[in-house]
Amino acid sequence: MDGSTKGLSRPVVMVNGTDLFCFSRSLFNRSKKLLSPLICLGVWELIVRLEFINPFFCPAPTSIVKELYVLLFTGELWMHLGDSVSRAVCGYFLASLLGVGVGLLVAWSRFVEDLIDPLIELIRPVSTFAVIPIFFIWFGIGDVSKVLIITKACFFPIVLNTIAGIKGVDPKLIQAARSLGAEGIALWTRVLIPSALPMILTGMRVATSMSVTTLVGVEMLSADSGIGFMVIDAQRVFATEKMFAGILILSALGFSFDRVARLVQHRVLAWHKGV
Amino acid sequence: MAFLEASMVNKIYHDKKKQEIVALSNFTLSVEEREFITIIGPSGCGKSSFLFLAAGLEPLTSGVLKFNGKPVKGPDPLSAMVFQEYLLFPWKTVRENIEFGPELRHVSKKQRRESSCNLIKMVGLGGFENRYPNELSGGMQQRVSIARALANKPQLILMDEPFGALDALTRETLQIELLKIWQQAKCTVLFVTHSIPEAVYLADRVVVVSKRPGTIKEIVDIDLPRPREREMFTSPSFIEYERYLKNLILEEI
Ligand SMILES: Nc1ncnc2c1ncn2[C@@H]1O[C@H](COP(=O)(O)OP(=O)(O)O)[C@@H](O)[C@H]1O
Ligand SMILES: [Mg+2]
Repeated sequence: MDGSTKGLSRPVVMVNGTDLFCFSRSLFNRSKKLLSPLICLGVWELIVRLEFINPFFCPAPTSIVKELYVLLFTGELWMHLGDSVSRAVCGYFLASLLGVGVGLLVAWSRFVEDLIDPLIELIRPVSTFAVIPIFFIWFGIGDVSKVLIITKACFFPIVLNTIAGIKGVDPKLIQAARSLGAEGIALWTRVLIPSALPMILTGMRVATSMSVTTLVGVEMLSADSGIGFMVIDAQRVFATEKMFAGILILSALGFSFDRVARLVQHRVLAWHKGV
Repeated sequence: MAFLEASMVNKIYHDKKKQEIVALSNFTLSVEEREFITIIGPSGCGKSSFLFLAAGLEPLTSGVLKFNGKPVKGPDPLSAMVFQEYLLFPWKTVRENIEFGPELRHVSKKQRRESSCNLIKMVGLGGFENRYPNELSGGMQQRVSIARALANKPQLILMDEPFGALDALTRETLQIELLKIWQQAKCTVLFVTHSIPEAVYLADRVVVVSKRPGTIKEIVDIDLPRPREREMFTSPSFIEYERYLKNLILEEI
């Protein structure tokens, strides 16, 4: 924390006045968004340092960062992070596979729709957390039930968007494709699925944030590893700095999941209007 | 035996309340090879329906509809449709859109490329091969759509108000180009339009359809020399055809 002023030193290149002006202008524009969070952090730090609040309840940002540092180097963080990420990723991909698969089946066949649609409508509004005990009883309290709970949470946005995406394909576009010779499987793989892809990907992006939310819940309820566990365990032994550090990691995890999903979405849909 | 033969064709749709909508009733028309037929009539009279039946995209309720001597059962590789809304695949480039039909029919990559290059030149889209549809103007999108239909080397092209959404100038250019393409590709065209001058300018015969349920009210032969020149629009015979057709349509509204 002592070298923090180094970042502010000017670049040692010759620049004329306007260049420097433009440079600092663009730097300011880019850092504008960081301004208010930085001020908040500063105020927070100050309040704790001036002992307006007991650091036990709310440790200063710098102490949280220090704690993060320690966690990083002892390797504790990596172990928890690895467990958390693999649970979330497994649950998410299982949900994507099932969600897209079931969604396509429902959109494809009236019979399957009549069979499955009522089930979806019944189970969907049930809170994931309400059914956690059932999963624990059926699949034990190990990783299997954790992954399946995450799958349950991620499944619905994906399956619903897949169904809506396929059903929403312009019937005239389908006719245009058929008149060009697309029938059966080719019609699905070459026309219907590509048309529905924006919707499907939106569902998959919504599901990423569900996966992190649910992960935290199950890890706090029952686990002996994972960031969620680390946070709740730190709370139990009143290690508030570690607790805050863990919460920070969880937020970063949610943020990066969404960013990855957004990146994939934009890459795949480069052709789509407005992207 | 005519190239496309419709006799006593009926088409009944059912709406959501299970009510019958008779779109076509006893529709009888025979089209010869390499003819250019335009179809006009009040809106909702079943013009689009007839094209969909001829394209094999909708089943007919009763009657006989034969293309190349065989009853139409489904989309035929030798017929192609062009729609008012272009209906390009937004995730495909211009070239990929055009090559889609041949690709489905397992034409080799080399041949596909060759014919798409020719078609792109023919419809004047050189330089836009790798653009996506949403980067193109309406007129350009309709050119792609026409090229995409031609890529399957169809003998019959069904066009449902293809220029209806375009501005007057683009429309005029495309009319001229369509006639050139038609002469080059040696195909038969069935062209639905709302514009009487367009119908007269393009057609060998203009089919006038009565209001719903659609039956053929009259078929008017257009005896104007080809190639058609734009100057014809002001010739006395052209104006006479226009006036005559307008009266026929007005009787139906
Ligand atoms: N898929 C459909 N389902 C129910 N009714 C339809 C369908 N397609 C067309 N119709 C009805 O059939 C009639 C003829 O339609 P259409 O052929 O589109 O007329 P046009 O192209 O001459 O304007 C209209 O009354 C229309 O509402
Ligand atoms: Mg129509």
